[in-house]
Amino acid sequence: MRTFLPAVAEQLFRDIQKIYEETTQIPDDLLIALKFVFGTCALQALDLVDQRSVTCLSSPSGRKAFQVIGGSGRLYTCFLSCHYCPCPAFTYTVLRRNQGLLCKHILAVYLCQAMAVTQQESISDQQMSAVL
Amino acid sequence: LLAAVTAASELGVRVAFFAQTQIQSLPECLQRCSATQNPEGLKKITFSYPRTLEELLQQVASLHEFPCPPSLIIIDRLDGFLRGAVASRHAGFHSGDESRAAHLAALLCDTAAFLTEILEKRGSSSAPCRTIASFLSDADSGQESRDPSATDPILDVLDRYFQARCTLDQDRSYEAAAAAAQEAWHVYLSGTKIPDDLEDGPTLAQEWKLFIFPEGLMEFKCFSYSVLSETANTDLRFPLTVTSD
Repeated sequence: MRTFLPAVAEQLFRDIQKIYEETTQIPDDLLIALKFVFGTCALQALDLVDQRSVTCLSSPSGRKAFQVIGGSGRLYTCFLSCHYCPCPAFTYTVLRRNQGLLCKHILAVYLCQAMAVTQQESISDQQMSAVL
Repeated sequence: LLAAVTAASELGVRVAFFAQTQIQSLPECLQRCSATQNPEGLKKITFSYPRTLEELLQQVASLHEFPCPPSLIIIDRLDGFLRGAVASRHAGFHSGDESRAAHLAALLCDTAAFLTEILEKRGSSSAPCRTIASFLSDADSGQESRDPSATDPILDVLDRYFQARCTLDQDRSYEAAAAAAQEAWHVYLSGTKIPDDLEDGPTLAQEWKLFIFPEGLMEFKCFSYSVLSETANTDLRFPLTVTSD
């Protein structure tokens, strides 16, 4: 995902990617850093990662999008190149109050990408248009 | 509309133009513009008239299905689409509108990024794909009393996704009358990032005066914005011939 993140967050994901490739685990210091940077949504995002809730949808045109199954079972569509999520937390905390960088769904996408545990699914171009 | 016509005719760029109100004819100033003398160029503009925000989202989301993708996406009066999405027809914007605005802006951003990749893979000189949207805020439309210090929450949301904002403030001083113009507008750029192709050149203009004359003529007076060079004023008068690099 093209980043709208501060440099510290980008570096954190690079570190997580590197260590996870080697050990298939995220050490405590990186977990603490994750919570420090992203607050309470860090643990909620990790839960989503554990549940393998993030899927990368792709269509024949090459267009891609992420779909995240939320805690309530609802599907949230997130974009590849910028931050947006239809969940209430994104609207309230990020857009309206400007108190967070992102919601747990978008964070789960970043973590799944870093850990290479994103599910993959192919759909038609028309289905992709409907999802977006 | 001027941007669409100029891009299509003078730069040979394919344009997707979205508006709620059907365009019956070009404004007078454009009819006399040399850019409109090239009908082949105008064929590069695809006009779409979605009636609702949902239709607009669906049409923008489908751009990836086109065999010949646009290099410029223009949304005319984005505020109209957002305001129309409110279930109960109260004036102005309400809660939930931030999310709708963010969805549309993010979709435009993501679509432009994807189309840029496609154009670059094809080796097209039309890359990157860019997006322009016009927006009339409630304060400027007269629906709310004007508070100079208040910011429009929808514009704040849009600023997250659009790199630059071009603001037009009507100049109600005597400057228009002094120039024998019908209207005078102060036009200026702001934003978090200056687009790459505007970073070169010490005499980049980021502030203009726009005069609109009774016969439909438009005149731009540029002001340079640079601490490295001497001030240079360049007058642009429409109809005009735009040359590309």
